[in-house]
Amino acid sequence: MLFAIASRRLALQRALAVTCAALALACAGRGDARRDSTPPASGGSESTIGVDDFGDTVALTPAKRIVSLSPMTTELLFTIGAGPLLVGRTEYDVWPAAAKSVPSVGPGIRPNVERILAARPDLVVLYAANDNRGAARALRAAGVRTVALKSDHLGDFARAARFLGAVSGRDSAAQQALDSVHATLDRVARSVRGLPKPRVLWFLWDNPPMVLGSGSYQSELLAVAGGENVYRERREPAAQVSMEDILTRDPQIVFADPGADIQLKTSARWGGIAARRGWRIVTIDDTLLNRPGVTLGMAAVSLARALHPGWRGP
Amino acid sequence: MIKLTEVVARYPRAAAPAVNGVSIVAPRGRVTAVVGPNGSGKSTLVRALLGLIPLERGAIAVDGEEIARLDPRERARRVAVVPQRESPAFPLPVRELIALGRRPHLGALSTWSAADTRAVDDAIMAAGVGELVERSSDELSGGEWQRVRIARGLAQRASSLVLDEPTTFLDVAHEMSVFELLAGLARDGMAVLLVSHQLNLVARFADEIVLLHHGRVAAAGSPSTVMRGDVLERVYEWPVVVVRDPAVGAPALVPLRGRRD
Amino acid sequence: MTARLPSVLGALAIVLLLAMIAGVAFGNVHVALPVTWRALRGEGDPLVVAVVRDLRLPRVMLAALVGGGLAVSGVSLQSTLRNGLAEPYLLGVSGGAAVGAVLAVAAGAGWLAVPVAAFAGAVAAVLVTLGVAHAAGGRADGRMLLMAGVVVGAFANAAIMVVLANAPPDTIRDATWWMMGSVSGAEWRTVRALALYLAIGAVTLWLVARDVDALALGEEAAAALGVRVARATRLVYLVAALVAAATVSAAGLVGFVGLVVPHLARATGLRSQRALLAAGMLIGAALVVAADLVARVARPPAELPLGAVTALVGVPFFLARLRALR
Repeated sequence: MLFAIASRRLALQRALAVTCAALALACAGRGDARRDSTPPASGGSESTIGVDDFGDTVALTPAKRIVSLSPMTTELLFTIGAGPLLVGRTEYDVWPAAAKSVPSVGPGIRPNVERILAARPDLVVLYAANDNRGAARALRAAGVRTVALKSDHLGDFARAARFLGAVSGRDSAAQQALDSVHATLDRVARSVRGLPKPRVLWFLWDNPPMVLGSGSYQSELLAVAGGENVYRERREPAAQVSMEDILTRDPQIVFADPGADIQLKTSARWGGIAARRGWRIVTIDDTLLNRPGVTLGMAAVSLARALHPGWRGP
Repeated sequence: MIKLTEVVARYPRAAAPAVNGVSIVAPRGRVTAVVGPNGSGKSTLVRALLGLIPLERGAIAVDGEEIARLDPRERARRVAVVPQRESPAFPLPVRELIALGRRPHLGALSTWSAADTRAVDDAIMAAGVGELVERSSDELSGGEWQRVRIARGLAQRASSLVLDEPTTFLDVAHEMSVFELLAGLARDGMAVLLVSHQLNLVARFADEIVLLHHGRVAAAGSPSTVMRGDVLERVYEWPVVVVRDPAVGAPALVPLRGRRD
Repeated sequence: MTARLPSVLGALAIVLLLAMIAGVAFGNVHVALPVTWRALRGEGDPLVVAVVRDLRLPRVMLAALVGGGLAVSGVSLQSTLRNGLAEPYLLGVSGGAAVGAVLAVAAGAGWLAVPVAAFAGAVAAVLVTLGVAHAAGGRADGRMLLMAGVVVGAFANAAIMVVLANAPPDTIRDATWWMMGSVSGAEWRTVRALALYLAIGAVTLWLVARDVDALALGEEAAAALGVRVARATRLVYLVAALVAAATVSAAGLVGFVGLVVPHLARATGLRSQRALLAAGMLIGAALVVAADLVARVARPPAELPLGAVTALVGVPFFLARLRALR
């Protein structure tokens, strides 16, 4: 659904709303306060130094050969037209389809530094997990620029988009992609506003039982799409719980991704309980959801459809 | 010379002392034997001499110096002890095993010298283990193992030698050769103190016998003084008869069968 | 025997040198030998220089130091405790270090904190083991030390399980990797620190080696030769455990080296403790350098954990040795 611009004032109001929604989402997905308060250079500003999620300073000049080591960043780079700059990706970065033509350098966690160096990059984008600090140090010692980015919250996506825009010389394309995603999210949020909020359990694992907490972009998307995470008071991305506790919270819908839903469906324990309590088990489309990337808008739409039967779209 | 004076030694958490006021003098040039039934405290004396059990009372002196005041290496230079049992975890060539006897003379930074080699060679010759030198310690028979250990003790070049049950597992020929070796060493001026349960050989070779019973000296003196039927029967709690061995002229113990009640 | 020692050590030194050359020359980036040699001197393609000098060389050095440290530790412990199955990890060192490291990882501490915490944990475990052995046996008896070490190790494992049971997946993955052992993060400062520890530890063990030769005979025989048995046992245990703890804090748990290398050293025919220490150090270093090379090239581009490779390499050697003993 398009949103028509009737007049300039309306356009300004819309722009303001989008910005507020984006900020609200960034705040909702807050993990590291320090991180949010030191944003990278926004497109077109004078500062050319940013601080990444390892706390390292990064020069924000355009790079020519980029190795990207996470699905979110690889996809983002392609989206903003920086695909031709990519000389390496992880074996798991398969979106968009064009990414498969970029040579793989192996895992994204504890990557093989030698393999990366063999591709002669001048910039390596890493997933900011502690395991990768060693690789970041080794690459910097070898004279290669590194940017470490988290991908745990919606706010991380915004930050990553700005960083990647700056280091690939595609600032405006990055901003556009960001705006488009935020616009969709905003539309979805507003269109489900009046609808009842189902209680949702987002199932991750059976042994031990693990569910999605509020410290993750999926949970943030759930909130945007008008659902209530029954474990939203648990701040960690994945929370370990017990079956009894799940029962007391009595969700209405259980989300699971295609791998996990098999556990649910084959578990007699879960099957029995779900049937008795009338839980609706929904398999979500994880190709849209497994990374907080450019597909976030569509992911929110698909979640909203699952949450609100009969919903006609944003 | 080794001198034990009123030695009292107790194992940790034991009710009674294992050695309860024992005095022994083992002078140079003589073979002194400590005998007694199992549990009478014989091996405890050796452990006390090695400093492995603290003395509750009394003192042990070697060549006039109390061992409690001596550095362990200094003590090992004065008195060589051949313990009862020894089982190395890893095999060692015999020559190297004997060479370990020079340990008390070698500090951490000292190097092996010609004097050390001479001491080892002399010990090998004195103990008569020349043909065993190239073998490995795990290939030796019980008797060979004993003689090698005695050689090691001799390599220490101490003036006193203490042996704890040196003839266990030895056949007659080897037993005799060990005792003859010990007698020869004493003749050459060493103070030999030996703990043994082999009463008859002790009676033939020892100059003085100390008989222990329940941690105390039950009798001490020349073999004829100590080897008496009534004394031995009381201490060993078994009917025995002491005869004078016509071939060698030394008293010999003959245990009788069954109990005389 | 003294005539053999230089030739044995010389041969082992050559083996180590070859292993180290291979470690620097091979990897994921193909570098020909002459190019490697130039790169070591800083000449040529800066990428190759970076790979050879900044990535591979510190790794190879660290691997050699870890192997050497674990070897001297194992040689000393097996002789002192008179047990061919003793090894530094059995005495609480690995458990304590793992607890320290896992706690540091779980607390989200910076990357510098993990090795320090591992070392602190190892030291604590060693002291607890000594204390337990003392309280139980009244003396630092070899058997007591082994049993106390097993108990402390079991307790450490339980503690690790408790910490990891409710930990987020990142922590579990980080901790697990650490426990599998790796020299992939080798840096020159770690190499220097470990070299210092190893030098002090090895020299100390070399100085008490004659006492250890006597201790290997048994408590009474050692005392008869003038060794202060309790003090020497405690000293060897402490130094061996600390050297092992230093290797663990630098590279995680690299198992089997401390257990297998003493047997390999004896297989060369050497017997005295000083000779075994020297030979063991060379063998251990070569073994871990080779294991690290295998870890890097066996399944590219991923790396195998170093501890897994040493176990896979160590077990067949050990079995072959056991058969030879029969």
